[in-house]
Amino acid sequence: MPTEITNQDFENIPVGQGKKTTFVFAGIFGSLLVLLLAAAIFLSFQQGQPIKKIETKPTPTPTPEFKEEIIPPSPYATDAAILKLENEIKSLDQQIISADLKEASLNPPVLEMKIKFEK
Amino acid sequence: MKKLLPFLLILLSLSIRPLRGIPSEYHYPLSIPLARAQEFNFNRAYSDYLFNYNQYRQSYNEYIAAKEAYLSYQTLASKNLALEKTSKMLKDEDGVIRTYLTALRMKLAETTGISNDEQNILYLKLDSEVGWYGKHQASLSSAATLEDLVDSAKKMADKYQTTEILIYQALGTILSGKEINFRDQLNNKIQQFKEKIGEIRQRGDKETALAERWLLEAENRLTRSQEKQFAAQQILAKMKSSDSNKNQSYNKAQFAIEESHQYLKEANSYLKEVIREIKSAN
Repeated sequence: MPTEITNQDFENIPVGQGKKTTFVFAGIFGSLLVLLLAAAIFLSFQQGQPIKKIETKPTPTPTPEFKEEIIPPSPYATDAAILKLENEIKSLDQQIISADLKEASLNPPVLEMKIKFEK
Repeated sequence: MKKLLPFLLILLSLSIRPLRGIPSEYHYPLSIPLARAQEFNFNRAYSDYLFNYNQYRQSYNEYIAAKEAYLSYQTLASKNLALEKTSKMLKDEDGVIRTYLTALRMKLAETTGISNDEQNILYLKLDSEVGWYGKHQASLSSAATLEDLVDSAKKMADKYQTTEILIYQALGTILSGKEINFRDQLNNKIQQFKEKIGEIRQRGDKETALAERWLLEAENRLTRSQEKQFAAQQILAKMKSSDSNKNQSYNKAQFAIEESHQYLKEANSYLKEVIREIKSAN
C-alpha cells in the first residue's frame, strides 16, 4: 500500500541536514572554480613566455696553435747603417702622415668690397 | 774714450740698419724695441692678421648700421656718420689684406723645399701688393664724399682680383714646398739604400734582387708624385683675374697635391719593405 506523502512529512525532514549538503556542494563547486581559474591563469602565462631555444653548443675542439712565422735574420739585421736608415724611415713616415696639406688657417679672408648707398 | 768713440759709432750704425730680408713695408715703428721686431715670425704675423680681421668685422657692422641710418633718414648727421664709418671700414679692409699678405710671406719664408728663385719672385709680388694696399689705405683719408669712397672701394675690388691669384699661387707654392721637401728626403734615402745594396751585392752574402725591385717601385712613386705636383702648379698658373670662382681652381690644385702626397706615402712604405727584405735571410 502506497504511503501518502503529505506536507507534513516534508516538514518533518530535519533542516540542518539540507543546509549541510548545500554547503558541501557549494564548497566543491567553489574549489573547482578556483582550480579552473588557476589553471587558466597558469596556461595564459605559459603562452606569454617566449619559447626557449636550446642552443646547441659546438663540440669543443682543440685550438689550433698559431705559430708566428719567424723569418731568419740576415747578416744585415743588426747592421748599424741599416738600423739608422730604418729609424729615419720611421721618422719620415710620421712626418709624411702628419703633414698639413690644407693650411686651412691661411685661407683668404672673406671681405665685402662692393659698397653702395642706394636702397 | 776718444779711441772708443769710432767703435761705438760703428756699433750704433749696425744696430739701426734695416732688418735683412724684410722690406720696409713690414717694419715696425722705431718706438718698438729692436729685440721685439726681430722676433717677427709667422706666428706673430698671423696674430696681427687675426687682430686686424676682428677689427674689420666690427667696423663692417658699424658701417652697415650707419649706411642703413643714412638711407632711412637722409640727414647731414647720418651722412657724415656714414662717411666716417665707411672710411674706417675700408681702411680696416686694407689692413686685413696687408697683414694677411704679410703672414703669407712669413709662411713662405718658413717653408722648406721652395727654391730661392721662386721664393724671391713671390716676395717681390707680395711686397708690391702690400705697398699698393698701404697707399690705398692712406688715400682714403682724403676722400671727402661717399662717392669718393665708393670709387675707392671699386679700385680695391678690382685690384683684389689679381691679389687673389697671387694668394692662391703662394698657398700652392707653400703646399708644393712641403711635397718637394719630403720628396727630397725620400730621394736621399733611396740613394743611401742603393749604396748599401750595392755593397751587399758585391759581398754576395745576400740576395738583393727583391730589395732592388722595391727601390725601383719607390722611385716610380716619386716620379708620379712629381707629376701630380706639376699638374697642381699648372692649374694655379692658368688662373685668370677674370675667373669668377678662383677658389674652385685652388681646390682642384690642392686635390692634385693630396694625390701627390699619397704617392709619397706609398714610396715610404716601399722603403720599409726594402728594410724588411735586407734584414731577413734569403
